[in-house]
Amino acid sequence: MSAQKKKAFQIEAFKHRVVVDPKYAEKTWKILEHAIHEIYNHNASGLSFEELYRNAYNMVLHKFGEKLYSGLVTTMTSHLKEISNSIEAAQGGLFLDELNRKWAEHNKALQMIRDILMYMDRTFIPNTHKTPVHELGLNLWRDVVIHFHAIQSRLQAILLENVRRERSGEVIDRGLMRSITKMLMDLGPSVYQDDFEKHFLEVSADFYRLESQEFIESCDCGEYLKKAERRLNEEIERVSHYLDTRSEVKITNVVETEMIESHMHRLVQMENSGLINMIVDEKFEDLGRMYCLFRQVSNGLVLIRDVMTSFIRDTGKQLITDPERLKDPVDFVQHLLDLKDKYDKIITSAFRNDKTFQNALNSSFEYFINLNSRSPEFISLFVDDKLRKGLRGVTEEDVELVLDKVMMLFRYLQEKDVFEKYYKQHLAKRLLSGKSVSDDAERSLIVKLKTECGYQFTSKLEGMFTDMKTSQDTMQGFHASHGSDIGDGPMLSVQVLTTGSWPTQPITTCNLPAEILGICEKFRNYYLGTHTGRRLSWQTNMGTADLKATFGKGQKHELNVSTYQMCVLMLFNDADRLSYKEIEQVTEIPTSDLKRCLQSLACVKGKNVLRKEPMSKDIADTDTFLFNDKYTSKFFKVKIGTVAAQRESEPENQETRQRVEEDRKPQIEAAIVRIMKARRVLDHNNIVAEVTKQLQSRFLPNPVVIKKRIESLIEREFLERDKGDRKLYRYLA
Amino acid sequence: MPPRASKRKSAPPNSSSVTSSDGRSVSSKAKIKGLEKIDRLFNTYANSSLGMIDPEGIEALCSDLGVDYTDVRILMLAWKLKAEKQGYFTQDEWQTGLKALGVDSLSKLKKALSDLEKEVEKPSNYEDFYTYAFRYCLTEEKQKSVDIESICELLNLVLGVQFRPQIDSLIEYLKVQNDYKVINSDQWINFLRFCKEISFPDLENYDATQAWPLILDNYVEWMREKHS
Repeated sequence: MSAQKKKAFQIEAFKHRVVVDPKYAEKTWKILEHAIHEIYNHNASGLSFEELYRNAYNMVLHKFGEKLYSGLVTTMTSHLKEISNSIEAAQGGLFLDELNRKWAEHNKALQMIRDILMYMDRTFIPNTHKTPVHELGLNLWRDVVIHFHAIQSRLQAILLENVRRERSGEVIDRGLMRSITKMLMDLGPSVYQDDFEKHFLEVSADFYRLESQEFIESCDCGEYLKKAERRLNEEIERVSHYLDTRSEVKITNVVETEMIESHMHRLVQMENSGLINMIVDEKFEDLGRMYCLFRQVSNGLVLIRDVMTSFIRDTGKQLITDPERLKDPVDFVQHLLDLKDKYDKIITSAFRNDKTFQNALNSSFEYFINLNSRSPEFISLFVDDKLRKGLRGVTEEDVELVLDKVMMLFRYLQEKDVFEKYYKQHLAKRLLSGKSVSDDAERSLIVKLKTECGYQFTSKLEGMFTDMKTSQDTMQGFHASHGSDIGDGPMLSVQVLTTGSWPTQPITTCNLPAEILGICEKFRNYYLGTHTGRRLSWQTNMGTADLKATFGKGQKHELNVSTYQMCVLMLFNDADRLSYKEIEQVTEIPTSDLKRCLQSLACVKGKNVLRKEPMSKDIADTDTFLFNDKYTSKFFKVKIGTVAAQRESEPENQETRQRVEEDRKPQIEAAIVRIMKARRVLDHNNIVAEVTKQLQSRFLPNPVVIKKRIESLIEREFLERDKGDRKLYRYLA
Repeated sequence: MPPRASKRKSAPPNSSSVTSSDGRSVSSKAKIKGLEKIDRLFNTYANSSLGMIDPEGIEALCSDLGVDYTDVRILMLAWKLKAEKQGYFTQDEWQTGLKALGVDSLSKLKKALSDLEKEVEKPSNYEDFYTYAFRYCLTEEKQKSVDIESICELLNLVLGVQFRPQIDSLIEYLKVQNDYKVINSDQWINFLRFCKEISFPDLENYDATQAWPLILDNYVEWMREKHS
């Protein structure tokens, strides 16, 4: 049994003659037709599935699929017509019920029919591109029943009526509604949409249009919004119970359009209850609701933001220009901070920390803070107050909080260089009088300023701190070497200030009393001994002195006074009465300072260690001063020194302004030269834009001033106008 | 006639040509002769101790020419002569200038003056002349600006004819304002630009954010306030 020849194995079709009985098709069809009838008449139990299946199979096999199919169509159609009639006959509330029932039955029947005709479904139908049985069943239902005009309009009306009833508070059969809408969906999304949803949305729009009109006439803003929210939630719930999920966004859209969008402006601006009132009264819940609702409509949030912004700007502007408020700078700044806190709270709790709202708030603050040219000064005074006493006994964290708030205000300032000037002045006073509450707090603020503005901003300020420290060391050295010399003489404490770091002070004349000239000279020699090549000048307008004074009845007091006051008082060791002129002559203190100094010594209750003749508030050239023997005070130590930093008088303010303007000129010129050196050729507008950008961290340069500086640079031949295009400037190397 | 080599003895038949012993041709002789006339004219007006024509001489020249001392044509003449110092003409300047004009006598000079006006008005020359007019007023060494009074007069003289309404208005402003007591060359050159480019009296196309000098920004603002 070696290599067997392998023959190709073929299976051939079983050729057996099939007798095609011409009546065969008709007979078979009749069987099936009958079965369909029985199925629709609920008599399906008596049928043999196997037999029916075989019959259908055979018909298709013997090429009678067409007959089978068209028979199916006819039969089913006629049954459905019957069904239509019965549904139509149903009265009132039973209509939906009947429809629903018949639909369920039809589906069951359809299933059975489909199972029986499965062979046709799988072979004949795809080959001839006819509609499959199940789909056919649905289409017929749709065309014959649902779109039967009597049924169609009635169905629509009843569905919508149910919705309306439910909206007015009635209870309806939700399950039934669900089945019906599901039926429509099964028949095809376009059926659901065209037969129901479209009209549902239209009718709903009308409904809500009317209702919103009613509400808006009768409710205030908060109530209205509550109602709108409620209706929205209702609709969402309705959809989840008996509508297609895709309807949710459409119906909510309708509600939002009719209830919110159409009345947006009226709501926001409603008198006594609109947005502004809610903000003022801090109605967080209402505001939050308004935010959520308005978020859903286009430009809803824009509207809220715009109204809020203009309100903040107006309020801020009023605050800034109110002369009463401006009298107390510390109070003024506190008000600004309170205002900011208030709005921050609203944005976090009601407006979900929306960034666009934050930005709007920031830009509003920036706008009105810079409307008042004295804002930089006032903010510095606020800081001064806090660092002198406001932060006494406050925890480190709370100190940081306050300083951060100050930085926040600082960032809004356009004229940061003005702030720097005042801050320097106030810091100098604090340091020299030793009045700072906490060295750490001071340094912490400097660090924050440095982070914000860079090293240059704070280098001089840091220089001041360094000087204070260095002076301490110097004093130690001085006392160590000269301690024995002093003995009973006056105790001297010196702070040596580096000129560049401290605010410029004019040198004033003042003749120091003989008693201290000695020790002053000793110090000068000591210092210059270790620091050759330096020049020292006594700043008599910045010093203080502690004097031990004995009055008429032997009462002793320790007086803390300014250097000027010390010079004046020491004169009374040798004379009981002195005229103004005499005092002026001997001390050589400048007139306005002298008058101020005498005023605080003679005209202030509780501090009048001198008596003035005649008794009056102001110092006249003709006044005479006497040592006040009868002076008394509860306290042993009496402070008569100069007061803390105060807001500048108008003329002082003008002067500072001028100095700031003068300081700005070289900065602008430097920026122009820097830019032109890099760009070589540039047109006017671009120079202005670039200069502004470069200087924006310090101040906002005035375009007119920039132009003036350019012209000055042209005159000094740093720049020239381009000969071809007169709009351009050229850098001249 | 082109100059010819000196070795030639026989000259071509030409009645006007005469070859002198040193070989110079007639044109240069004519030149020398012309130069002589120019020089003679120069000496008529020059101050002998200075060696140049001084203000007095110019005044005399003016009256001979039949023009006023302050006439703009004298300024134009100075421009043509490229005179450095106001009120004075050096011999070099005189020679170069008159040669350029192609004149060597007073009558010819008189005629040339009207031609000169047209020449100055040519766009290519006008700006040059205008700039020159300012420089001519810088009498001191290192002087860079001219006082308002003089500027007003100069504006009137130089631009008054062509831009009468603008100049009248501008002069009024210059006298009233007190931001600037002097005008520098940059501002001066922009006055001309202003007259040429900006529509008057509406000043519609003036843009203060452009590179116009501040003084003109102020002028426009003043004008707009006046007319509102």
